[in-house]
Amino acid sequence: MTSPFEPHDVTWSRVSPRLVTAMLVPATISLGIPMVVGVVLAVTISPWFWLLAGVPAVFLLWSILLIPRQVRAIGYAERDDDLLIRKGVMFRSMVVVPYGRMQYVDVEAGPLDRKLGLAKVQLHTASVGTDAQIPGLPPDEAARLRDRLASRGEARLAGL
Amino acid sequence: MVGAALVILGQQSLDDGPRGGLITLVSGEYWWTLLVALAAVALVGWSYSVLAWRMTTYAIGEETVHLRRGILFRQQRHARLDRLQSVDIRQPLVARFFGLCELTLETAGGTDSGVAIGFLKGSDADELRAELLARAAGLKVARTGPAAGAPTQASPGAVAAPAGPGHAVPVGPAPEGQPGQPLEAVAPGPTSLEAPQVPVLSVPLGRLIASVVRSGAMITLVAWALVVVVVMIATGEFAVISASLPAVLGAGGYLFGRLTGEFDFRVAISPDGVRLRHGMLETRSQTIPPGRVQAVRLVQSVLWRGRDWWRVQVNVAGYGGESEEKNSVLLPVGTREEALTVLSLVLPDLGVDEPRRILDAGLDGDSRTESVYVTAPRRTRILDPVAWRRNGFTVTGRALLLRRGRMVKILDVVPHERTQSLGLSQGPWQRRLGVASFQVHSTEGPVHPEAPHLDAGDAARLMAEQATRARSARAAAGPERWMERQGE
Repeated sequence: MTSPFEPHDVTWSRVSPRLVTAMLVPATISLGIPMVVGVVLAVTISPWFWLLAGVPAVFLLWSILLIPRQVRAIGYAERDDDLLIRKGVMFRSMVVVPYGRMQYVDVEAGPLDRKLGLAKVQLHTASVGTDAQIPGLPPDEAARLRDRLASRGEARLAGL
Repeated sequence: MVGAALVILGQQSLDDGPRGGLITLVSGEYWWTLLVALAAVALVGWSYSVLAWRMTTYAIGEETVHLRRGILFRQQRHARLDRLQSVDIRQPLVARFFGLCELTLETAGGTDSGVAIGFLKGSDADELRAELLARAAGLKVARTGPAAGAPTQASPGAVAAPAGPGHAVPVGPAPEGQPGQPLEAVAPGPTSLEAPQVPVLSVPLGRLIASVVRSGAMITLVAWALVVVVVMIATGEFAVISASLPAVLGAGGYLFGRLTGEFDFRVAISPDGVRLRHGMLETRSQTIPPGRVQAVRLVQSVLWRGRDWWRVQVNVAGYGGESEEKNSVLLPVGTREEALTVLSLVLPDLGVDEPRRILDAGLDGDSRTESVYVTAPRRTRILDPVAWRRNGFTVTGRALLLRRGRMVKILDVVPHERTQSLGLSQGPWQRRLGVASFQVHSTEGPVHPEAPHLDAGDAARLMAEQATRARSARAAAGPERWMERQGE
């Protein structure tokens, strides 16, 4: 059976593998702290606290296994008239954004992203339902994509 | 506005003081301090209102509307008229006593992007609306009085010169071009800009009440009340009633709001688009120009089926957000004929020879009836056991029709040129069954068009073809200034 997420005439671009680090660091911090606290309490107070340590540990392990696959699943493709973005491993989704529908383009980079040399490009249409963001792009590629999208959007601009 | 401010301030200052303190104060010998304090608060509120009123000015330019307001933090807003999405005149209860209205001009800039000009005298608001619509439509309009765009005080006092030289009248038939526009046939005069409107239908009060009684919220309310009574009898605790009161009040408030907001609902059509007028306590008069409707939903709640009643909602850019419930209703309740009539007002051409058959199949057909709808395959009944037969879509020359729901039946219509973006999603179960869900992203509003659990091949094809169709439809779409298409 052909997957609807593999249109035949499309070559997908992948995002930088450094995005794995950028996603793992916050996950490790937010799950690691309760895990460490749980371990300390389990050793000093009561073995019941191993439960507190175990739950975040399971989630952390799950994230470590899943995040590289998620990052590999993110893809985008520039076609003549629209931009395709797909993502997800278990819950897959794909969005088609016509250039003429773009209202504005955001480029964002947090401190960790900047350290790793990454940026996120997000497209906005007049619909709040459009979830079109490409995380983990190298800054040069993000800037190129932004300019290209802006110029293509201008060329094909239509009213609402 | 000043009166309203006084009333509100008065109420606030009464509510603020603790009751006990108030009584001792009134009965004590310094009772007059209360009056002085009230008077002081009233004076401050009044002078603030006067100042705010003096600072609020608006002007209509060739292509833009300017609004200036604010005392400490000043705001200037320029809105482009060709981006205008709708013009509404709102009359809250208090303003009604003074014969005042607020005019809101929606542009598509998201929440709070509209230009609210308030408060104006009723007749001035009507004239302003007519002028704005005429300019937005691309008609040539000139002011014979002060130079075009001269600031006008947004108040009853300053725009008091009635039907005089300060009026906007259309220039007669422009010598070189745009012949034969319908608006110019009307004799010049104070109301000459007002596009003639033809009443289409109105909703009788009896039916509105019956529809609210049979609505989903009412069913929930009654079911909730039954549960509360049963629990009360079983436990013998009367406190259950008071505990459940907030939920009952909330639902009751919603039903009351719906009843008063949709009271005396009238639909009319004019060259400037669809006109809606409704409301009991607060009246609203909306104008949605042609081509501004992004998506339409026809919905039938479960107890409406016997009467074959339908509710019509729309997405209009700028209508989203908190006032969505009041703004986005095109027909609160109507027969199938009326609902389809209203649909044809906003989307006159579906691009098929027999729209009625397609629409009927979309309203209550399913995969057992013969129709042009592409339906979800039989294997999806495990994902959607109740409504799997209804899930489906069809494409016409001008629009995409998506139907779903069996208890609450829904038909969404999206014109191709209004498609913002398209989405496809697939969970693990759907992947196993070889199906995927398709979404059309529309502007903020009550309509979220989607076709769940389509066959993966159908979904992929729809996604690819719809992108192409949307592109060619946009290229062929009419201009933003809707009157220009006749002139060319």
